[in-house]
Amino acid sequence: MKFFLFSGFGTRTQRFIVVTVLLAACSPCLVRATVDDALSFAYEAALPYYKQGYSIRKDAWGGDLGVRDKKAVSSQLFKGNNYWFLMASDVKGATLSVHIYDDNGNLVDAESWQKGRFAGARVSPKATGTFFAIVQILKSPEDRTPWALVYGYK
Amino acid sequence: MLHSETPLGEGIFSRFPMNHLFLFSTAIVCLFLISPPILRADTPPKKISLSDFPAAAVEEVVVPVPSEIFAVLDKLGNPNWKGQLRDGKVRTPEDRARTALLLGNVIAEGFVAVEAEDAERVKELGRQVLTLAEAINVRKSVIARSKSITDKADQRDWRGVRAEFDGALQDVRGAMQELNDQDLSQLVSLGGWLRGTEVLTSIVSGGFSKDGIELLHQPELVNYFDRCIGSMGGRLRKNPLVASIRDVLRKIGPIVNEGGDKITPEQVKSIHDLTHGVNQQIVEGTTGN
Repeated sequence: MKFFLFSGFGTRTQRFIVVTVLLAACSPCLVRATVDDALSFAYEAALPYYKQGYSIRKDAWGGDLGVRDKKAVSSQLFKGNNYWFLMASDVKGATLSVHIYDDNGNLVDAESWQKGRFAGARVSPKATGTFFAIVQILKSPEDRTPWALVYGYK
Repeated sequence: MLHSETPLGEGIFSRFPMNHLFLFSTAIVCLFLISPPILRADTPPKKISLSDFPAAAVEEVVVPVPSEIFAVLDKLGNPNWKGQLRDGKVRTPEDRARTALLLGNVIAEGFVAVEAEDAERVKELGRQVLTLAEAINVRKSVIARSKSITDKADQRDWRGVRAEFDGALQDVRGAMQELNDQDLSQLVSLGGWLRGTEVLTSIVSGGFSKDGIELLHQPELVNYFDRCIGSMGGRLRKNPLVASIRDVLRKIGPIVNEGGDKITPEQVKSIHDLTHGVNQQIVEGTTGN
């Protein structure tokens, strides 16, 4: 019983190949699952803002990043609205950040916060146009850290 | 009274023995050192160079939902929304691309009906959403939304109706993506954007306000739609209606690329005429070039 899984396979190489193939087949699902988990945390971070009257978009961004890697997420924002961008990861011990820049690269955060695997930034655009949420993994026990970003407006 | 005042340099600590004071101070210092993420925020650079981000490190823009724009319009004044409403009932096209565009168009029309507070029109549009969604196999995703639109229109819960139309748009797109119909999903967004832009330019042309004109400054969004059409399959890309829309986008692009305060009334009218023309094609199924 102890060797049930591999009892049908002869050599160690064969076992190695089977395990590798199985892991490779499963890995996209695992990454997807953790990004989905990160998204759940991002929605959790957005909840207090929803209660303040912000409409939270169902569309979201996500992926995985290495420590200190950055990603720019482009958004069309409208003057007259207030926006909160909320980022999260499901990795315990990870530290993230999100900040908003205009299309000239100027920091336009009205306020921002960062608490472990959650981060948020608010912007009240002074002009309508394209803005960039710069997301970053500051610290993480993992090589690649799944993250998700949502935003709300009012 | 004066004698009972705490002397300078003394406070609550003066009642602590020295060793307690030392322990307390040490504890504060240790707390600060071991919990930097809680106590210190990261300090982002005031300026960055966006050109440092390679294309792979830049995520595509997400198309704003109509209520993001209508939320701003609400704050700018109270234009004649009833005058913006389109008459008549749409017929479901045979062409799936046109159906997707029309679905987006009808959802955007729903927002206009909400602004006009026309409950009957809102309910009619809610039913049209359901019919069009059925034609492209995503009816299931909007059945509940359609019912809620009717219920909330009866209650004159306009904020609620708006949320349902937003939700319908996102649910339809989500269902299409699940069916691997990414291209049609983009056409739904594009149809909504075209109708929204037609209405916005009409209001702005009617002397709404300078702040209203600024809402047209959407360069990345127009480029994004153009790129989306460019990456569609050959058959869809060559669809006469889709090709006609791409032409319109390429004419609008340079105008909205200007800063919001630089868009002239003539340019606003030009965007209006272009979007009005293409929306007519979407509704009536004619492609007149």
